[in-house]
Amino acid sequence: MKLSKKEETQLMLDIFDIKEDILKMIYRSQSGHPGGSLSCANLIYILYKNVLKLKPEEPQWKERDYFILSKGHAAPALYAVLSKIGFIDKDKLMTLRAYNSELQGHPIKNEKLRIEIITGSLGMGLSIGVGCALSAKLDKKKDKYVYVLLGDGELNEGAIWEAAMSAAHYNLDNLIAIIDRNGFQIDGSTEEIMALEPLASKWKSFGWEVIELDGSNLSELIKGFNRAKKVIKKPILIISYLIKGADVSFMENTRLFHGRPPNKEEFVAAMGELEFLKDEIREGRL
Amino acid sequence: MVELSLRDVFGNLLVEFGKKYEDIIVLDADLSSSTRTSKFAKEYPNRFFNMGIAEQNMMGSALGFAISGKIPIVSGFTIFTTGRAWDFIRLACHDNLNIKIITTHSGIVGEDGSTHHALEDLSLMASLPNLTILSPADDVELRKMFEHVIEIKGPIYMRLPRGGFSRVHDDDYQFSTDHIDVLKDGSDICLMGCGYGTELAYHSVQSIEQKLNVSLKVINLSTIKPINKVKLLKHVKDLKGVIIIEEHNIYCGIGSIIAKMIAETKPLPMRFIGINDVFVESGERSELLEKYGLNENVLMEKINKLMEFTKN
Ligand SMILES: Cc1ncc(C[n+]2csc(CCOP(=O)(O)OP(=O)(O)O)c2C)c(N)n1
Repeated sequence: MKLSKKEETQLMLDIFDIKEDILKMIYRSQSGHPGGSLSCANLIYILYKNVLKLKPEEPQWKERDYFILSKGHAAPALYAVLSKIGFIDKDKLMTLRAYNSELQGHPIKNEKLRIEIITGSLGMGLSIGVGCALSAKLDKKKDKYVYVLLGDGELNEGAIWEAAMSAAHYNLDNLIAIIDRNGFQIDGSTEEIMALEPLASKWKSFGWEVIELDGSNLSELIKGFNRAKKVIKKPILIISYLIKGADVSFMENTRLFHGRPPNKEEFVAAMGELEFLKDEIREGRL
Repeated sequence: MVELSLRDVFGNLLVEFGKKYEDIIVLDADLSSSTRTSKFAKEYPNRFFNMGIAEQNMMGSALGFAISGKIPIVSGFTIFTTGRAWDFIRLACHDNLNIKIITTHSGIVGEDGSTHHALEDLSLMASLPNLTILSPADDVELRKMFEHVIEIKGPIYMRLPRGGFSRVHDDDYQFSTDHIDVLKDGSDICLMGCGYGTELAYHSVQSIEQKLNVSLKVINLSTIKPINKVKLLKHVKDLKGVIIIEEHNIYCGIGSIIAKMIAETKPLPMRFIGINDVFVESGERSELLEKYGLNENVLMEKINKLMEFTKN
């Protein structure tokens, strides 16, 4: 499927709305993770909008695809996407991380919202995905896919590589892992803290089909997911090159906004930048 | 008054002791900016190892450093360091290796929520033979403790919060693992806690004594393991009861440890304040402490009821 210009413009505008919501939520709560939420917001939106098989009216539909946000600290991105597609009331978004809110700092299991499992302790999502994918095979659910979104820093965890080995061992072609390759973790860049490269060849040598793509390009993302679903007998890894803090100039490519909320001046500036970019998109300049 | 967050004091101590002891090396798992081991990293880059988000490999490496004659100080968030790497810690304890696990963000951390609160770490750690477990009540005690952390040859776990606690000690306070730290004497009920538990007990005791007309003793249980049982029991044997306050699950934390000691000698009525065997959600730390009953009102009520109970 190729996106028409009009479709692409609409998706992009939606993504900017999502990014505004992310920043607003984190600003209101004065806690949370802007950098790694902004980086993957577009990816999560495309997943929900174009890829995941879900029944809006039946949250626990047995045939649904599973999505596991292994990098649970990107919860604001997930919640903002779920609000955009109508699963969460927009008003509720601003209760992020607050006392008594459904929107916990890191996602917890929620049947209505189709949050399959709690995440936030890094390195667990891929193993969970392996279990789901094996289970789908056992149940002969040929059309059920399991998607797991991983942080690149998260790949430091040994459990990821144990999962990688087992997914290939069991030929899990219904397991699609995606890496938010934004190049940063908390203490610095990924290559400075615990070098990952050559990343693609590591996963290939583990027996995975590896697709590398520019995650900021929506058509490429959609194409990548389509390609992933055609692979047989192997688990699939999409290395999605993204930008930490994407679209807010002073949050981009820095570790500083990993887990720090913007202050008032920063928030106002960030919202201004997003508004400006939205105008550019509307007027066809971007 | 809270002077400094204990993690900031920890960071400064690392720099200070790093100078004195050249065998100290520090390991962290991509959280050096949060745990403040970054201060040591800046000062002694050759002796600092950021192991990435890999708590197990970090702990395993610490074991290797220890058997090579170094003094590894391992840091990170409490729950991930003790939880994910527990089996490694267990073996270190078996061989009595000289590793120092000093983690921050213990107890209720706040908005990050259930995955990040550390309310089960004492259960995990207290079941390990040979391990010394420390939980300082304030910055003064943390400073004094640090000498011992390095001097004691063997595995140590020190539980630090994200923030700080208001002081309960004067500058001339002397710490020893063998000593029972009685902060205030009293003749009816003993309040015993560590970390936030000590802070709560110590700072509410005056007003509760006045309101309820009771005499309360306060013990800071900053050495959780090994506890000098004989000395501790001497301090409580003539009292009417004991109340334990801990920022931890009420099961298998200090309450369980002390209850066993007291039950085996001269049983006393005991009451427990802590997290009542549930997972805690997101929210401001103060709101959560209030919700889960780690506050002065609940303490006063428990004391009141325990006093009534002992009259019957
Ligand atoms: C087991 C575990 N260890 C440590 C942390 C603390 N932590 C939260 S986010 C993070 C860095 C994640 O980096 P990355 O996966 O690259 O995420 P991104 O940059 O995409 O936000 C760390 C160390 C955690 N949540 N879980």
